[in-house]
Amino acid sequence: MSRSSPPTFACWLLETVVPTSYREAILGDLIEEYTLRTESTSRFTASRWFWSQTCRSVPSMVWSSLRSRDCLISISIAVGVYIVMEILEYAAHLTISKWVFPQPTTYVFLAPVVFLTASSIGGCVAARICRGATKFLALIVMITVAVSIYLKVCTIPVPWWYEFGFLTLGPLAVIITPTLFERLKQQGAVT
Amino acid sequence: MTFSAYLFYIAKQMKRGELLGSLEHIILLALARLDGGAHGMIVRREIEERTGRNISIGAVYATLERLEAKGYVSSFTGEPTPERGGRAKRLFRVEAAGKRALEVSEQTIRSMTAGLKDRWRTI
Repeated sequence: MSRSSPPTFACWLLETVVPTSYREAILGDLIEEYTLRTESTSRFTASRWFWSQTCRSVPSMVWSSLRSRDCLISISIAVGVYIVMEILEYAAHLTISKWVFPQPTTYVFLAPVVFLTASSIGGCVAARICRGATKFLALIVMITVAVSIYLKVCTIPVPWWYEFGFLTLGPLAVIITPTLFERLKQQGAVT
Repeated sequence: MTFSAYLFYIAKQMKRGELLGSLEHIILLALARLDGGAHGMIVRREIEERTGRNISIGAVYATLERLEAKGYVSSFTGEPTPERGGRAKRLFRVEAAGKRALEVSEQTIRSMTAGLKDRWRTI
């Protein structure tokens, strides 16, 4: 991180949450002000200011996008992608449990791989159609996993961290994978 | 038509949803002070300097977008600069409908606070 570059994670968070209509404007304003502040105060103070602005802006941004019509489109796309994702996951489950590993205990090791792959693909597809749909898809994934855990859908006894992994890594895969792909694409374009 | 009749007419014409909220009012006033177009951070700074309120940039833009949807402000995109990481500015300016809304709000506050100062002195 150079002297004038703002906190990377805060920027990523804003890029994910802020609606496309004023994403450029907000990030540009914050970066400009951050650069000015690093010149007059310490980098730590400027970063703290940047983080406080990010954290305080996120609720307004989420609320604003929820009120807009774009939100309904994003939710519809997220639901559509989630249905396709579930069909793919179910097909993979059937294939693996019937022909590859018929024993349910062996499948416990493969289930996270299938789930995370489906979540990553779903995230990339949703981001490709509409960037804002990924956060709703992540939310849907999180809710369905939480409901599955509560209803004890998995009949095989598993440790708590196994379920917790599904609950956290699934939504994260939905959000992070498209960003990683975008970064890799940009790096490829630069080099 | 007298001035008060004109204001009454405007107030009557304004739908309930078009009345200004407190943040909308402050942001519209800040934008009116910064004549000729200003971006979100300048508006935020103006409010902080004049009122001491530390508003988040997200709240400023969310309100500005709402005001734009109501037709009170308009926006245009500026040139991207290296200081902004190559990102363009979005500049806002008050429209005629925004000025009218401010006038109505001012008149409403004036009417509601008329004579209150004398009462407060006695309390």
